[in-house]
Amino acid sequence: MDNNIAENPSPTRAKWRKVAYGGMQPGFDDNHTDDSFLEGMVMNANVVKRDMLKVMQDSVSISQYPCIVVLVGLVWNYTLRSTLDETSLLINRRAPGALKNPTLTSFISLNVSVVASVFIASRLPSRLHVFAVMLFSLQVFLFAPLVTYCIKKYSFHLHLCFSFSLMAVTLAFVYTLHRLLFVLLLGLLVFVTVVCPYWLIRMQEYKFEINGPWDEANWLSFVLILQIKINSANH
Amino acid sequence: MGDSKRHRILMVSDFFYPNFGGVENHIYLLSQCLLKLGHKVVVMTHAYGNRSGVRYMTGGLKVYYVPWKPFLLQNTLPTFYGTLPIIRTILIREQISLVHGHQAFSTLCHEALMHARTMGYKVVFTDHSLYGFADVGSIHMNKVLQFTLADVSQAICVSHTSKENTVLRSGLPPEKVYVIPNAVDTAMFKPAAERPSGNEITIVVISRLVYRKGADLLVEVIPEVCRMYPNVRFIVGGDGPKRVRLEEMREKHSLQDRVEMLGAVPHAQVRSVLISGHIFLNSSLTEAFCIAILEAASCGLLTVSTRVGGVPEVLPDDMIVLAEPDPTDMVQAIKKAISILPMIDPQDMHNRMKKLYDWHDVAKRTEIVYDRALKCSNQSLLERLSRYLACGAWAGKLFCLVMIIDFLLWRLLQLWKPAEDIEVVPDIVLSLDEDRGMSQDFQAFNEDHSLR
Repeated sequence: MDNNIAENPSPTRAKWRKVAYGGMQPGFDDNHTDDSFLEGMVMNANVVKRDMLKVMQDSVSISQYPCIVVLVGLVWNYTLRSTLDETSLLINRRAPGALKNPTLTSFISLNVSVVASVFIASRLPSRLHVFAVMLFSLQVFLFAPLVTYCIKKYSFHLHLCFSFSLMAVTLAFVYTLHRLLFVLLLGLLVFVTVVCPYWLIRMQEYKFEINGPWDEANWLSFVLILQIKINSANH
Repeated sequence: MGDSKRHRILMVSDFFYPNFGGVENHIYLLSQCLLKLGHKVVVMTHAYGNRSGVRYMTGGLKVYYVPWKPFLLQNTLPTFYGTLPIIRTILIREQISLVHGHQAFSTLCHEALMHARTMGYKVVFTDHSLYGFADVGSIHMNKVLQFTLADVSQAICVSHTSKENTVLRSGLPPEKVYVIPNAVDTAMFKPAAERPSGNEITIVVISRLVYRKGADLLVEVIPEVCRMYPNVRFIVGGDGPKRVRLEEMREKHSLQDRVEMLGAVPHAQVRSVLISGHIFLNSSLTEAFCIAILEAASCGLLTVSTRVGGVPEVLPDDMIVLAEPDPTDMVQAIKKAISILPMIDPQDMHNRMKKLYDWHDVAKRTEIVYDRALKCSNQSLLERLSRYLACGAWAGKLFCLVMIIDFLLWRLLQLWKPAEDIEVVPDIVLSLDEDRGMSQDFQAFNEDHSLR
């Protein structure tokens, strides 16, 4: 397959132009690939460069939730065994702000926790026990996300301290209760805080995003950004 | 058959007459020009409604309407090996030397190219559209394209941007891809004898009213232009899901007497709609090559278009005003177009178009590609399999398996229905009328359509 004609390097040969009209360009084959080929291509324009430490710090927020769930489970366990007095559960808490814009997932998770508490409550000896346990579970599951969010906003350092102490406390309680569960919980926490961030950063190497003049124009987002800018300028 | 350069080509695509569109017209007009150059051309497509079997079109163009019904967006159901027997029969009957497939979105094309390669024929593929990389549909289509083009002899793209896009999607070496643009039938798209008179400026839009063709941009642009220029009116031809939005826009701004909505315009009437205007507006969000712009320029209209895809390559800078695909920029471009309109001479533009685009030139350049394709060496199955293996860790092995099964099925078919038993079609050469121009072919094409 002979693609390259021996080209006459005389200065009279016209420059190759990236145009479709005018028929075959004199001195060039139709399959001529100019140096400007793919010069409009942009790779990985929207890919965020991630830092391992930052990702690990973010994953600490996720690890709070398994801890809270385990803690509530522990409380249920102690109540069932009557090691915990029901009146101590009736702690008075002030709601730090109402729940705004509930989403479907938050409804589902709340319902699941209620159902779980009901199952536990069915094993309890008295009505007061049931009431205490239900109230405690509801309060914890409802307010835990809000509490953690407020702490995070207030101070990132405090948030980290709170998370680590929560993890330590949970691990300590579980250790006294059941060795196997302790190992499982420890494994889960290590997986979430260390293994997952590392995995995410390794997979980022395979990201291959291609953009160029062949992309469909995205003018709607351009207009929306413009409108947002105008609105914020007006206020 | 003394002329060794006489090719016997089978064009394959899901998209052909009686459908009208860019790909359909391209295949038809290219085939007609190749017939005039002395080659033999046969077209294969799927059945359209009752139109099934063998038909002959103008110039002796034979079309096989294979009795497979389309199942999604004009595409035949992909059965992988179901089309092998019929394709083999057609290739042997017509003594084909080369198979030319069109359009990446056509399942029939991919299957035909696969079987043709298994049977040892040389294969050329033409890509007519641009595709992305990020959404699920595109990812799968690109993988299929990678499979088909792993073993293609040559490929053709309709613009340089399209070549870049195809090379990235399929992993083909760029030297294998030829850029041969579409053309326009200048004998049919002639400007009006006299320009529409009066001080009114008419802007024509003819496109499918879908998101991809920028119908939403039109909704923003038209009221603004009508507000700025009281003597401008719009003619909008075409239909689609976004038509409702345009009607609403008309109602909201009370533009009923300034914006005329024609609905779907049959291909035979496109010219008469175009010559009633001064400016042609194209608002597509993506376009590999825009034939509508060529038709408008051939009719002497000044074009205003979005700068997307291959559009900047299509016309010289003095025949088109380009704008970024957002409403403000487009309104500015229309303003500029209106200001340079007095300097435009439609007849002069038409004469220039005759020199810039010609289907006969396209056919000659395609002939060169065919010559190169036939010079490619024959490869054994094992050599070809190594190319498929390079397509990916899992995909490569899957593709190899598919090709091996295809090869075995072909051998089985050779035993069951030997090639000697298939009757070869004798060559019937129609006396070619040298004076007959392309326009008469096209007219016959349109008359065929109106008779249905």
